[in-house]
Amino acid sequence: MDDNLEQPHAEPKVQAGDDLEEGEQSSGDEDEGLDWTKLMPKASRPIIPKRGDKEFEPSKQGGSGLQQHILQRARNAMFEALRADRTISNKSISYGTWHPSLARVSVTVSRGTAMGSIGHTVPRETTISNGILKTQKRLELLPEEAIYLIERGSLMCWKESGMEYPNDGTFESVSGSPMTVQQAYSVMIGQEDLTMDRYQVYAYLKRLGYTVTRTKPPSPFYPIASPYPPSLTTLPSSISFMRRISALFASWISKIFSFLFPNSFNWWRPLQISKWLRVDKNYGFIFRSLRFIPSGHKIPIYTSPETKLPPSPYEPFFNLYKPPTPFRKSAPPPPDYQMVVVNARTTPMPSLRELTAIYDQAPELPPPQRRVRNPPQIQGVSYKKSTGTSDSNILVDSQAKPADHSTTSPSQSSTMPSFLSGLPSWLYPRTAPPPPKPERKPNPFAVLRQGKKTAIIATVDAGTINIFRFAQGAFEAGPWF
Amino acid sequence: MNKGGARRYENNRIYAHPLPLSFSDSSSNRTRSILGLLGLSRSQVNNPHCEGYYDASTRSVWVVTQRDSEILWRRGFFGKGNLSRSEPSWFVRQVQDRQSRKVKMTSEEIREKRRVERKQFKLDRAAAIAKVAAEAETIFETEGRVVVPALFGPEIPSGATWKPKAAEIEPSLDLELSNAEGETAVENGEGGEEPLEDMEHLQLTLSEAFFLAWNLDCLTILDPETACDEPLSLPDIWNTFQHAHLAFPMPRFPTSELQFDNPFLVHYAVYHHYRSLGWVVKNGLKFCVDYLLYKRGPVFTHAEFAIVVCPVYEDPQDQEISNTDLHNASPFTWSWLSTINRANSQVMKTLILAYVTIPARQRLSRQTLNSPACFAHYSVREVIVRRFIPARMRD
Repeated sequence: MDDNLEQPHAEPKVQAGDDLEEGEQSSGDEDEGLDWTKLMPKASRPIIPKRGDKEFEPSKQGGSGLQQHILQRARNAMFEALRADRTISNKSISYGTWHPSLARVSVTVSRGTAMGSIGHTVPRETTISNGILKTQKRLELLPEEAIYLIERGSLMCWKESGMEYPNDGTFESVSGSPMTVQQAYSVMIGQEDLTMDRYQVYAYLKRLGYTVTRTKPPSPFYPIASPYPPSLTTLPSSISFMRRISALFASWISKIFSFLFPNSFNWWRPLQISKWLRVDKNYGFIFRSLRFIPSGHKIPIYTSPETKLPPSPYEPFFNLYKPPTPFRKSAPPPPDYQMVVVNARTTPMPSLRELTAIYDQAPELPPPQRRVRNPPQIQGVSYKKSTGTSDSNILVDSQAKPADHSTTSPSQSSTMPSFLSGLPSWLYPRTAPPPPKPERKPNPFAVLRQGKKTAIIATVDAGTINIFRFAQGAFEAGPWF
Repeated sequence: MNKGGARRYENNRIYAHPLPLSFSDSSSNRTRSILGLLGLSRSQVNNPHCEGYYDASTRSVWVVTQRDSEILWRRGFFGKGNLSRSEPSWFVRQVQDRQSRKVKMTSEEIREKRRVERKQFKLDRAAAIAKVAAEAETIFETEGRVVVPALFGPEIPSGATWKPKAAEIEPSLDLELSNAEGETAVENGEGGEEPLEDMEHLQLTLSEAFFLAWNLDCLTILDPETACDEPLSLPDIWNTFQHAHLAFPMPRFPTSELQFDNPFLVHYAVYHHYRSLGWVVKNGLKFCVDYLLYKRGPVFTHAEFAIVVCPVYEDPQDQEISNTDLHNASPFTWSWLSTINRANSQVMKTLILAYVTIPARQRLSRQTLNSPACFAHYSVREVIVRRFIPARMRD
C-alpha cells in the first residue's frame, strides 16, 4: 500500500514474482508436506486437519461463544487425528535385522516404493549349512534410513540375537527379538556419525520427498555419487566486424600513448584521465580505473605456516536429490545440493576459510534463467512450465517467435545495395546476427543474487531447522551499474 | 505525461551525473568525429572543487556552502543533511512553513503524509474487522450456524482497496487567500520576522570524504583548528582519518601506532570496492547492517543489497594481541544471522557478508601503512546469505 505514496519505487512487481520461485524468504507454507497417510486404507486413515487462520485475541472474559466453539472444534480435530491407529497392510511391510557390530540393518524382505531410493547393496559372506562360504548380496540400511522407515511404519526391525524363535505364522521370517520405535532411536542414534540433529534433518527432507544420501561414504561398499560435469565454457559472442576494428584501433592508440608517456600507478593519485584519449572521457573509464582493490574469491587467503587450524565441522554431510530427479542406487547422479548439518547452539557461523573449503568442492552454477510465466497460449499446444526448453514444445505456427526472426532477416539482407554484393562477406558492416532462439537475458539482480557456488548449511536448534544458503558472490564479474 | 513519468523525467535530469566530475566538449561536431576516428577527444573534465571542514568530534566532514552540498548530493548521493532525512531540505521546509504554500513536497513531508494515512487505514480496517466479527457472533447466537469471521475479504479494506478521504478539498479555498498574503509577506521581508538563514550542512562520512578527496580530487578538506582554515594534505588526511578511529578523538596526538586492522581501512576498502563497481553506497543503520547498495540512487529505487562488513584476520594471533575493537571480527551467532536476514528479507533486500581480509603483521612491514598502497594487500569478497526452503525448491 505504501508503494503508492512513497517517492522511491520498488522494483516492478515482476521481480517479486521471479523471487517467489526461488523461495521468497518468508516462512509461509514451508510445513506443508506430502500426506503419506493416503497410502493407508481408508478406514483407518486419520484425517489430518487443514491449518486455518490464526485468531487474533479473545474478545471478552476468555472469548465469546463463537470463539470458544471454534477453538474447541479445532482441538477436537487434532485429538481425533492423534487418536487414530496407524496401520499398514501385511503385504507392504518390509522386514530387517539390526546388527550392532556392523551398525547396519540388513533387509531380509523388501517391499514398498520407499525402498527404491533407500539403502545400498553390500556383499557379505555367509556360511551355508554345509560349511561353504558364499558371498551374497543383501540390502543394508544406514541407521538414519532404518529409523525413518521404522517410524514411518514400513519396516519391521528385529535385533540380531542368537536365540531361535518359533515361527507361528504371524511374521514371515523371525530372526531375533523385535525392536520398538523407542528402542530403535536409543540404539541407532550415536552409531555411524548419526546425531539427533542429523536425523531430524534427514527425516524432514525425506518427508518432503527428497532423496538423501551421504556425501562421505561410511564404508567402501557405499555408492559414491558421480562427480560434477566440468562447467560449460561460454561461447564467444559474435561482434560485428566494424566494431572489432574500432576496438582494436582504440587499444593501439592507448598502447602508443602509454608508451610515449609512461606513468606507473601512483597510489596518491589513482585516477589519471589523459588529456587526449577518447576512451578515457567517460564514467565507465573512471569506474574501471578505480577497481584496484583486490576482490573476488579466486584470491587465496594467506595462512601462516605456524597456525594450526582446528578440525572444522563444516563438511558436506548429505547429498540431496530433488524429488523429480531419477535416482539409481547403484550409480547415483551428481547431487542437486550438498548440505552441512550443524547444531545452532554449539557451533558458530562458518568462518571464511571454512566456507572456502566447501566452495572448493562445489560446482559452478549457470546463470539463472527466467521462468516462462503465463506464456501465450497457441491453439493445440500446452506449454511445459520449464526453463528455456519451452521452445521444444512449440508447434510451427505463424505466431511463434522464431518465425518472426526468420522473416525479418531475409528482408534485412535485401536492403543492402547491390553493388556491394560482389564484395566478400567479411567486409560487410554486419549488424549483430539475430539470436537462434528468443533468449531473454537473465535478470541482472538475479544473477548477482545467485552467485557462482553455494554452500547449504542446516542449523538445528532443539528440533527447529533453519537452512541457509551461503552463495559465493561475484559482484566484480557481474553486471556493473 | 502522467505524474509518475514527469517525476521520473525530472529525476533523470537532476541526477544525471553519477559522480561530481563531468565531461564537456566544446569543439564542433566535425572535429569531434575526426578525432573520434583516431581515438582521441578534446573534452574537458569539469571539477567542481568543493570544500569541507573536518570535525573530529563527529568523525565527519561538514560541507557548509549550499552550492557544494547540492553538487555532492546530486552527483553521486554523497553525504546526508544533518537536519534532514537524506537530502538537505531543512531550508526549503522552513520557508514553506512560513509561506504555508507547498510548492515542492520534500521527502520529509511525504513521509508525514504517508504515516497519517496509514494510521487512518489501520483504524478503518480494525473497525471493519470488529464489525464482521460482531455479525458472526450474532449469527452464532441466534441461528447456531458457525461462520468464521474473516480477517480479509470484500468488506475489509486492504492495502490495495483503501483510499484516503479527500480532506484537501476544503482548505484549498483558504490556501488561495493565504497564498496572496504569503507572497506579499515575503516581499516585505517576512513581515517583521527575522530573515531565514540556512542552519543545515551536509555531512560526509570519513569514507565518502576520503573517496572524493583521494580518487576524484574534487573535495578539499579544511582544518578548522588552524588559524586560517588550512587545507589538509593527502598524507595528513590519511593519518588523521585513521587516528580518528583509534581512541578518544584527540587533536592528532600520535599516541598509538597505526595498525592494519584500523576500522577506517577496513570500512573504506568495502566502500571503495562497491563504489568502483558503480553502486551508490549509503549507511545501513536502519536495517542492522553496515551499508546499503543502491543501483542508481535512493531517489530511484529501493536498495537491493544490504552489506555487513566482516573483517577476517589472516593471522589469528593478530586478533588476540590487537587492542582495536573491530566489530564482527569473530563469526557471529546463528541467532543474530537469522535476525538480520529476516529483517532484511522483510524489506526485500538481500543480505551480503563482505569479508575483508586483513594482512598479517608478519608478512608486511608497517611502513606500508604510510600510504594507501596498503590497499593492495587487502581483499574484499562477498558471500550472499539467503534462506533455503526445501519445501519450495522441490521441482
